[in-house]
Amino acid sequence: MEEKRIGVYVCWCGTNIAKMVDVEAVAAKIAKLPNVVIAKDYKYMCSDPGQEMIVKDIKEHKLNRVVVSACSPRIHELTFRKALENAGLNQYMFEMANIREQVSWVHDNREEATAKALDLIKGAVNRVNFHEALDKRSVDINPATLVMGGGVTGLSAALELADAGNKVYLVEKAEKLGGHVANIDLTFPLLNSAAEVLDPLIYKVNNHPEVEVFLNTTIDEVFGYIGNFESKIKSGDKEYELKFGNVIVATGLTPFDPGKISSYNYEKLPDVITSLELEKMLKEGNVVKKDGTEPKKVAIIHCVGSRNADYHEYCSRVCCLSALKFSNQLRSALPEANLFQIYADMRAFGKGCEEFYASTSKKDVMFLMYDQQGDLPKINKAENGAGYEMGIEFYEKLSGEDIIVPADMVVLMVAMEAHEDAKEVAHAVGISLCGNEFYIERHPKLDPVATTTDGVYIAGTCQGPKDIPDSVSQAKAAAARILASIARGTVEVEVTTAVVNEDVCCGCQTCIKVCPYTAISFDEEKNVSVVNEILCKGCGTCGSACPTGAIRARHFTDEQILSQIEGLFSKEMQEV
Amino acid sequence: MEFEPKIVSFLCNWCSYTGADLAGTSRMKYASNIRVIRVMCSGRVDPTFVLKSFREGADGVLICGCHPGDCHYHEGNYKCLRRYHFLKKYIVQMGINPDRLKLAWISASEGREFAKLADEMAETVRNLGPCNVKDEMEIFD
Repeated sequence: MEEKRIGVYVCWCGTNIAKMVDVEAVAAKIAKLPNVVIAKDYKYMCSDPGQEMIVKDIKEHKLNRVVVSACSPRIHELTFRKALENAGLNQYMFEMANIREQVSWVHDNREEATAKALDLIKGAVNRVNFHEALDKRSVDINPATLVMGGGVTGLSAALELADAGNKVYLVEKAEKLGGHVANIDLTFPLLNSAAEVLDPLIYKVNNHPEVEVFLNTTIDEVFGYIGNFESKIKSGDKEYELKFGNVIVATGLTPFDPGKISSYNYEKLPDVITSLELEKMLKEGNVVKKDGTEPKKVAIIHCVGSRNADYHEYCSRVCCLSALKFSNQLRSALPEANLFQIYADMRAFGKGCEEFYASTSKKDVMFLMYDQQGDLPKINKAENGAGYEMGIEFYEKLSGEDIIVPADMVVLMVAMEAHEDAKEVAHAVGISLCGNEFYIERHPKLDPVATTTDGVYIAGTCQGPKDIPDSVSQAKAAAARILASIARGTVEVEVTTAVVNEDVCCGCQTCIKVCPYTAISFDEEKNVSVVNEILCKGCGTCGSACPTGAIRARHFTDEQILSQIEGLFSKEMQEV
Repeated sequence: MEFEPKIVSFLCNWCSYTGADLAGTSRMKYASNIRVIRVMCSGRVDPTFVLKSFREGADGVLICGCHPGDCHYHEGNYKCLRRYHFLKKYIVQMGINPDRLKLAWISASEGREFAKLADEMAETVRNLGPCNVKDEMEIFD
């Protein structure tokens, strides 16, 4: 049997880890473990010099196993696996110990954190002793893509892919394309028509030979894996079986229901309307109260459902600018009206947006600030003969006074919420939601449109509140990622599937019963179970059900995990 | 010195491990007693892993998986749940207090919940005192 030669690398991550874990002491102790040939600490293991150090050591010290103790494997496992490959070592001869997300960032006692880091690395070192080289498996990429959602994001993504000559299946739940942008009159900050943005996209998609549009259609379930997905859909009376290599989820948002905030009296007072309802009026060129007359005083209340712990803590990002846009439009539509902006904080970031705020403030618009930490404004019906319909009562922060703002129409700038179907869609394609039910990206900075499921990308407001330019950017980014995989034609997939040792299998078929993918079949002749490696997703459930230990979950084998447990408690190095 | 337990925690890759990472990226502080072992699915947690943990000196074992219905592999967490109920009974026969073993559902977004769970588990096991299985088993070694 080949001699095991392990290299261990303890990362400082600048001060992120080094501040809480005594990385030098840890490396020195780990160096004394059996089979550890070399143990080093270094400022940034993921940096080029850090990776080069591993490559160099593998060659120089003839290492055949590597442990990196740094951030979460969810962030840099693949980075280091590549480094191993560059040094000619099989990528699976690697293990990571997570001492940042699960040690230095969550503990505040340096001694305890150092002890824990040491245990975790001992576990990883013990485990890597039992790692085995696994062959790569590459699969062909079906160049077709499924785009879920026909709003501005989905349309942009579909065109980007189709213009490169690839088939796109665009599935939209509603009866027409366009999403929420179809209901918008003008866009900020240039006050261009939203139709100017949207109509050409819809026209091109509808007339593109490579795009097949399915309206009134939802996706219940997507089967398969990157490069080879499939789904059955029902559109009208017809059923279709679609096959595609990648998925873009662009299912958008749901507007916040302001009825949840009782002090706004939405749907109780006739002229309290949402920003969406005002868009409709502006689009129709008819801004009137429910009684058909023009309002003389219009107030716009910001952050309705946003930036408030009772509803949503996050900022919806587009409402401030939309509200400013409304003031511009209302100033044109109702030249004599009094216009009020009742805001909590004016957030005018983005190209041309602060300038837009400055120019709007010169248009005879009154800006008043309410305190979001205190009571929200209260909209009451005005007394008869007051000369206006409603009074908005609140503490005005800038003047420090309790005031009542008169209004005939109140516009509520409603928050963007995750789509009401977000959970169902997440289930269908196998991706995760964050606490606010927006989808989680693989990495917030380095991989913002990918998900933890290979081949499934997210774009637009389903990932978090954003405006049109940001949504389109994400759409094109997701499309670019997919175009790259189509151009390569194949993709390497995990080979951590289950495998049966036929000599040990007793033919009880327990594994077949527990497999969620019907990936295991029974060979009657040999009286053993057989794993279909294409269908197996490597969950390992069969491995824990097998009574004889015949079926093994590769890279998560019994001996690997059991040795990791032993490592956590081993005292071996203290004795050295 | 006050007794500080060691708790082995098996976390599924997709929900619970990600949730534990989120506690980290959100810089939430919790007790340092947990030693995490990552598995792809809570369905991979072989009862042997739990028994082995106690055998090696764990004072507690915490298993976390995706919430029911959210399993990345459809139903691995249900398989885990069944084994958990079995284990709860089994460890009593081994002389281990059943409170030393806990199964909980932690989603990828529940960093706060994970931190809270880690603290609670540490507190429970701290109050139970050291688990003596390892010492008792030494007799057979």
